[in-house]
Amino acid sequence: MLKELYLIPLIIYIFSYIVFAFKDKKYYKLFIYLIYAGFICQSIIFLTFLGIKGFAVPVHIDRFVFFNAWILMSVVVIFGFFYKVEYILLYITPLVAVNLIIAFFVPHIHVRPVMENTDRIILLTHILLILVGDSLFALAFIVSLIYIFQERKIKSKKNLKILDMPSRSGYNLELLDNINYICLKVGFPFITIGIVMGIYLSGSLFKTFLVVKPIEIMSLITWFIYAVLLHERMAKGLRGKRAAVFGIIGFLLILASLGFSFYFFPAFHGFE
Amino acid sequence: MDILIIGLNHKTSTINERETVSKKLLTPELRREFIEKLLELKDEAGRQLIKEIAVLTTCNRSEFIMNLSYWTQGKGGHAIKNYIAKYFFDDLEKEKILYMYLNEDAVRHLFTVASSLDSMIIGEPQILGQLKGAYNEACKFNTSGQFLNKLFHKAFNCAKTVRTETKIASSAVSVSYAAVELSRKIFNGLEDKKVLLLGAGEMGKLTVKHFIKYGVKNINIANRTAEKARRFVEESFEDKEKTYLNVIDFSEYYKNLPNSDIVLCSTGSEDYILKYEDIVPVIKMRKQKPLFLIDISMPRNIDPEINKIPNVYLFDIDDIGKMIENNIEIRKREADAAIDLINASVAEFMNWKESLNTVPVIISLRNKIKNLLESELSRYITDEKEKDIVVNSLTNKLLHEPTMLIKKSSLNPDGINSIKTVKALFNLDSEDYSEVSKKHISESVSETAAESEYSETKIKLVK
Repeated sequence: MLKELYLIPLIIYIFSYIVFAFKDKKYYKLFIYLIYAGFICQSIIFLTFLGIKGFAVPVHIDRFVFFNAWILMSVVVIFGFFYKVEYILLYITPLVAVNLIIAFFVPHIHVRPVMENTDRIILLTHILLILVGDSLFALAFIVSLIYIFQERKIKSKKNLKILDMPSRSGYNLELLDNINYICLKVGFPFITIGIVMGIYLSGSLFKTFLVVKPIEIMSLITWFIYAVLLHERMAKGLRGKRAAVFGIIGFLLILASLGFSFYFFPAFHGFE
Repeated sequence: MDILIIGLNHKTSTINERETVSKKLLTPELRREFIEKLLELKDEAGRQLIKEIAVLTTCNRSEFIMNLSYWTQGKGGHAIKNYIAKYFFDDLEKEKILYMYLNEDAVRHLFTVASSLDSMIIGEPQILGQLKGAYNEACKFNTSGQFLNKLFHKAFNCAKTVRTETKIASSAVSVSYAAVELSRKIFNGLEDKKVLLLGAGEMGKLTVKHFIKYGVKNINIANRTAEKARRFVEESFEDKEKTYLNVIDFSEYYKNLPNSDIVLCSTGSEDYILKYEDIVPVIKMRKQKPLFLIDISMPRNIDPEINKIPNVYLFDIDDIGKMIENNIEIRKREADAAIDLINASVAEFMNWKESLNTVPVIISLRNKIKNLLESELSRYITDEKEKDIVVNSLTNKLLHEPTMLIKKSSLNPDGINSIKTVKALFNLDSEDYSEVSKKHISESVSETAAESEYSETKIKLVK
């Protein structure tokens, strides 16, 4: 019953894209407002209907995905607010919308982690940290994609209609690269602690650390990629296109490991 | 007496081709050499083909504005074009990229160029100065005569009218504007960025001014002669702008590269002053921070290969031009108004030119008849006053039809035959005719000022 509510923000987002399709400067503002409206709607649903209680373990899988969409949107809205880069919303909302669609279609089933009560706080923090970290990396992924397209446009010098469209704040390569870097810097600790907690949880779940689980391998590979990227950026000043490619690969690995953990080896992730 | 323009511009040729040409016309000495060679061209009868010539070279075009000799035929024009293609490219195939305009088309072309309608950036103001430079140089070389004088003055006049009467200049997007916009695509805010300007030229000045307007506070200027750079800063900038400028020694420019975010290059060097190997270590020292290079010099001073280095963005004048082309639509309407003004100026000039052909004939014909009548009638009429009246009225009546015929014939292409017939009938090709015609031309040239006033009112009417 609750699931129909997910459609409200989804419809708002789709409608905002229709508005955007008019390609008029007047409508651009409306588009931004609509997206904010969608976000507020999402938040209200999250707070009133699902509530924090809804996320106490055991979770319903659709709520989990909805929560993911909300976290992603919040991260981007906060980011856009601080860096005056509202246009990122344009690219991140499809991702959010896909999450909402998944949330709507996924069966309303309990995914019950086999967990003792004492570990519940850790499990919640684990989920929260990983989701925030992943959202930041998702943002880095989107920004990397924009960077690569933008960079190619500037390098190839084709279709550069700079004079027809006076530069709104944004779209400049330096800013995109900075956002990428900040996402990485902030997201990395989140992911690191999240993974450590995950390993701890899986240890307590299987009563041993020695069983090698696919999810752990995937997470560690992803973590390693981001660690290398962060190191290169900090120590050697890696920038620009190469960093963007790294960001894209890293995020694809995150998607792969999420897919692994939820669809192929749910048991290893501690689901029944 | 035909005007011929041969040249190439950014629309007909690639940057490499223009570079080849401009390299051979880089200094006044090279241009003089070329002009002398052109003036040596002869037709079959061994007569000089070209009477007057001026050479215009800018970064986007090279044009040769010529006044052909009286006897030069169409064949002569093609011979000149062939010669030019051969001179610059050693390849007759390249003749394709040269355009050739004759008489009215040539005048229209020159006026369009002067009004900056043919520029890569429509409405940019530099072209008029460059045209004036070309004219001054022709005067210095003594290759500009009465005819080109009139043509150039008319062109300047036309450009001025277009600038004041239309909005073309006020909305001019210049290369400098494009450079700033581009750097805003790469950098996040220009306030903390450092600009290095190589070469002290007009284009550099405009761009630097633009950068200052957008908040750049740290600009280094390096020129081969430091004295010129200092004078350039002193003369071209306001006091407030000067506080952001800093003249450095030219030998130090390379040391400055790792600290600079934007490099503007507009020197007159013949070779690349920044090569691929130079930039690779620089970008490492910059820790891969983006470096934006703008090459607004012609021939190019920055190796185009540099654009392949990651995090280095190089734009030359051609790239910027291509970008701005998208913007042309916006000012199309203004351009239409400008074309009307140009057409009016062209018509005026062509009338003047045509009249140059016929007026001496009419004057000398009148003089001849008048002299005859006077000498004959003085035998019968003693009263001077009475004699004058009779002579004048007889001349007018006698010559009314022939004068009309001559005037009409000047307007159609076959007219030259009837003028020739008149000349032959009355034996007008004698000395006094050439004297009259010379006098007439010099008079009409000196009338430029008065005429321009007239033309301005006419243009206003047209508008």
